[in-house]
Amino acid sequence: MPERTLRAAPRSWAKSLLLTLPILLWSLLMFSRAMMQPGRAPKLAAAVTLLFMVALFFQMVRTFQTYRWRRYFFVAVGFLFPIGFIWDLIALRGSMSIPVERMLSGDTPFCFMVIPMMIVPAALFGTIVFPGSILATASNPHAIAAMVALWMCATLLLGKAWCSYGCFFGGIEEGFAAVAKKPRIKKLDPRLRWMPWAVLAAVVLLSAALLEPVYCTWLCPFKTVTEYMQVRSFETAFQAAIFVVLFLGLVVVLPLLTKKRTQCSFLCPFGAFQSLFNKTSAFDVRIDRARCRPCVLCEKACPTLSIGAESLESGQPRLSCMKCGACVDACVRGAAVWHIRGTEVGPSAERARLMHLYSAWGFAVLFGGSIIANTLEKLFGLLV
Amino acid sequence: MKRWRAILGNTGAVATLAVLLAAPFFLYGWFQNGVAALHLRIDPQYSGGEVARVIQRDGYQVVVRKPVPRRSPLQRVDPFVQMTWTPAARLPAQVSDEIDLDGDGRPDLLVSFDTAHLKLDVTPRTPGYRPVHTAGVVSFSELIARVNDGIVVRVPLR
Repeated sequence: MPERTLRAAPRSWAKSLLLTLPILLWSLLMFSRAMMQPGRAPKLAAAVTLLFMVALFFQMVRTFQTYRWRRYFFVAVGFLFPIGFIWDLIALRGSMSIPVERMLSGDTPFCFMVIPMMIVPAALFGTIVFPGSILATASNPHAIAAMVALWMCATLLLGKAWCSYGCFFGGIEEGFAAVAKKPRIKKLDPRLRWMPWAVLAAVVLLSAALLEPVYCTWLCPFKTVTEYMQVRSFETAFQAAIFVVLFLGLVVVLPLLTKKRTQCSFLCPFGAFQSLFNKTSAFDVRIDRARCRPCVLCEKACPTLSIGAESLESGQPRLSCMKCGACVDACVRGAAVWHIRGTEVGPSAERARLMHLYSAWGFAVLFGGSIIANTLEKLFGLLV
Repeated sequence: MKRWRAILGNTGAVATLAVLLAAPFFLYGWFQNGVAALHLRIDPQYSGGEVARVIQRDGYQVVVRKPVPRRSPLQRVDPFVQMTWTPAARLPAQVSDEIDLDGDGRPDLLVSFDTAHLKLDVTPRTPGYRPVHTAGVVSFSELIARVNDGIVVRVPLR
């Protein structure tokens, strides 16, 4: 395998195509059902998504760059998911807000963010503190068992890389972070990286004490672009205001100014929770200390403050590393590398990257790809 | 030792690919069935709790659920009992029902409501329940709402 640095020549077309073939076959398998649906919109949406996913993978293979191409996919999911979700909500009940009546009938779509908050009450009382349905119903296809099962599959496959390949919210701030060429705010206090852990501890304990999903009720910025409780009182109006302020601050403005994923770095309790599963993945990113001349390009490139001085010394990013590959792409010496746990750092870095990409991109096609295709189908339905 | 760690790591990497291949065809379904098999329930503050009894009336029925107590001192939802009049389409314009919640043969509540405007009056006949004179949703423990094909009433407990 050729050694990967920014200066490495691209892989040959033939070899890149050959290495892309498994993902092409997997994508054909995953989109075959959509392609056989009646009507032109589903076929067109599936074909466009398939081409998009396969082309990005091909570029990742050919250019040896991961982050750059993954970002197109991730931002597409981040911006298309809310469009499709709101579309469905409007079709189903004519509004983005959920009234109490719908909550009582278990019609609230379940979101993976609730998972850490539901564990303690489930263990203590055998109940799930969320107004959804355990199994899918006609009025609520986003059931709890389905979403938890999906999360379990993703965690086995990706560990914390969920935040780079699975999360349907992270792409929004990654999109805003990509807008500016240079960050306006360059120095961020590294202690801020503990914030998601504090938020995780607080919401888990408070959810167990109050028996409600506290983060969803009070803090989730993405309620602004998905669903929120119908404003019927000062309390619900205040909650809605918090959602909007957090969204504008952490998902739009700060990523624009810092070029970081600030919501993920400073608030997201699910990201912190998912960090606990980082070690379950066979793949990680390492810094080859023999090659590293601490230029801190990797530290600057990391969107989640997961690399600091101690990472360069130990050769390991922090537990919050979401394996996006930004540091690997940024490192001109090829010191930041993909790695299979237990193996030597460096010699088989490209093999490790490809193996990680096959599993991560396979999941991306399966989950993110279906989100893209579903929304495109709705949009194409307006045109064809 | 180093060699064994490398073998283990590479095995893990290959196993990850196997997990991907199994995910949409087997794993997802197994995990989903596994979650369902845990017999977890939606918290009663949302679902209304377990059904205690069903009272038959002329043309409709009243589904009475078990009282939902306070399970945590910090819980914001007060204890309540939920009843559902169903089907809503067969209810008279003005409903007035004496409800025996605990099945002891004596009515515990007199529940009256207007099905069009969802104006609710609850008069307790036995201690343990709070009177209610309201319309629509006040809180999770005090409300009248049209849910699916029924009318749900929640009465706060003392």
